[in-house]
Amino acid sequence: MHTERFERVKKSTNLHFTMEADEALRKIEDFPSNPGAMGYFYDLFRSVYANGGSLTHKGTIIGTMCVQVPEELILAAGAVPFRLCNGAHAFDQAGAEFMPAKACSLARATVGMLHINRSVHKERLGMVVVPATCDQKRKAGELLREMGYNVYILEVPSSKNSEEARHYWQNSVKRFTAELQHLTGRKITKKSLGTAINLTNEARRQFRRLYNFRKISPPVVYGKDALLVSNAYFFDDKERWLQALTDLNNELELKALKGESVGNRHAPRILFTGSPPVFPHLKIPLLLEQSGAIVAADEVCSSTRMLYDAVAYDESALYDMIPSVADRYLKPCTCPFLVLNDDRRRRLKDMAGQFAIDGIVYQIFSGCHLYEMEQRTIAKTFADSGIPLLFLETDYSQEDTGQLSTRIEAFLESIKARKRRK
Amino acid sequence: MKYFCGIDIGSTATKIVLTDEEGKIAAHTTAPTGSHFHKNAVEALEALLCRQQIKRQDIGYIVSTGYGRKLFKEADETISEITANAAGARNSGEGAGTFRTIINIGGQDSKIILLDDEGHVKHFTMNDKCAAGTGRFLEMAARNLEIEVDELGDYHMKSTGVPATINSTCTVFAESEIISLMAGGHSREAIVAGIHYSIARRISRLAGKIGIEDKVFFDGGPALNRGLVASFEDELMREIVVPETPQITTAFGAAVIAQEAFAAEGEKINV
Repeated sequence: MHTERFERVKKSTNLHFTMEADEALRKIEDFPSNPGAMGYFYDLFRSVYANGGSLTHKGTIIGTMCVQVPEELILAAGAVPFRLCNGAHAFDQAGAEFMPAKACSLARATVGMLHINRSVHKERLGMVVVPATCDQKRKAGELLREMGYNVYILEVPSSKNSEEARHYWQNSVKRFTAELQHLTGRKITKKSLGTAINLTNEARRQFRRLYNFRKISPPVVYGKDALLVSNAYFFDDKERWLQALTDLNNELELKALKGESVGNRHAPRILFTGSPPVFPHLKIPLLLEQSGAIVAADEVCSSTRMLYDAVAYDESALYDMIPSVADRYLKPCTCPFLVLNDDRRRRLKDMAGQFAIDGIVYQIFSGCHLYEMEQRTIAKTFADSGIPLLFLETDYSQEDTGQLSTRIEAFLESIKARKRRK
Repeated sequence: MKYFCGIDIGSTATKIVLTDEEGKIAAHTTAPTGSHFHKNAVEALEALLCRQQIKRQDIGYIVSTGYGRKLFKEADETISEITANAAGARNSGEGAGTFRTIINIGGQDSKIILLDDEGHVKHFTMNDKCAAGTGRFLEMAARNLEIEVDELGDYHMKSTGVPATINSTCTVFAESEIISLMAGGHSREAIVAGIHYSIARRISRLAGKIGIEDKVFFDGGPALNRGLVASFEDELMREIVVPETPQITTAFGAAVIAQEAFAAEGEKINV
């Protein structure tokens, strides 16, 4: 009886997820002059999500619950990193069974997805790595363990400012390295780690090229496409992704040379920050660009924060390479789980200047206290800079779309009026 | 003579304002929005033009706003009700230059808008996705009390004792609360006052979050309710400016923007 009911819930949840994914893709593609090279990404999402297809990966898949998991080590151990952070309302509803009503949509959707599709995922995922970052991710680890997943808790210090915190983190990464080797039965060598670092650094180099194209005004690429590219990095084969992004960048380079642009020349340029947009929940970036703005830059862990920084090591020896990988994840981190987060304010200010930003849109998922609390200090930082900030609390449902679009339009109108008066 | 039209299609009522070349209100009308948004709006506009004996081609520019703004295809431009409301308030004449905060209560939402020194939108906030503390809430309360919505203000002003406590501004829960207060022997006057205070309290909490300044300009249909205005004065501890016809401020703002847009287009043609 129980299994029969579960199978029905599973069927309907997956159906709703497919509908959501299909609708999101329609909206994403419904813009004039999409780059030809984006076709790869649209097709990828359509085949994986909207058509209920599945991914084929060689080797053990290691699920990661957050951006803080060093993927170089997973690759060096011969496994495949797969970021599980989920953006679907259907799974958010499924996850509500396990988590508080006011928990963040992202954490709940990830747990919901792993619950609903547990028969597939338990077999596919050799391990689920849960970094002890925010409260909801921390406790999700326990829930997943109860569901029967092989959960590994990756300990993370709550500050990055002291030498002790750095050592604590480096030791945690070392333990994680040992666990990975134990699981896959393959030793991480300086050669395999070197190859993994080269691959991810190359991916990040290409991502930075895209990042730099987004600085051009009038814009050559929509933010919705940039977000889709980085979202694809969650699960796509790294080498194939790298090739597709290289193609896209080459196309954008040509476009820029020819002076072609997308959208309105005077489109307000938005810096997007806060809770991460994950496909199919690209609601707010899409509303912004449908209303005539351009999401020129983002400071979110599902995009720029995930792919901006590279690993730098001095000596080609594991005793230097592993700590260097660890450093790459802690030092540039600007997640609000950190007790002090001056770096995030600094980075946003830098980006606002570099990208000629007209306004900041700050998304928080209801239930994410950390982003909500930090909103106050960020708002203060920008209060006197003349760059307005719009704070939007939302979740994965589409119920608030009408309200959101009114607020977004008013925000854009006030930016345009301000620009005209200047 | 050219006229400029602002049309505000709200959840409850559609408001239309025509301004003349001096930017003064030449005529205005209010009609129920109903479920046939577009048809009702077009009919209301035609009736207004007919009444005023203004020809359609004399309207230089139409700007639509409000929830139904996108459905009114006859408009030359659409604008969000926040921008339109600010434009209307800044040009309304009442207390001009003395306020930098607007509180608007509509049929299904409430907003707080902060203006900069020149009267342009600096910051704003809206209530959540529910009808708590909005015009819809007042309608429901009046129905339960078996009085008319426009009598609420008088009942409030007649109230002498302590207002009854209404804990919920959720339309669903407040309904049963009001019924039990009536059963408990509270006077209608006390309940009405209690309802107004509960709305004012909710909105001032929202206002506290974004930090209100100076005098407050209060518009939207419920601003006609004297009792509600008095409660806002108490809760916000500030002077409140209410325009003569508060329900048309946003439509008037849309007409102001229509005139500006018409002038800007004219410049383009002349150049």
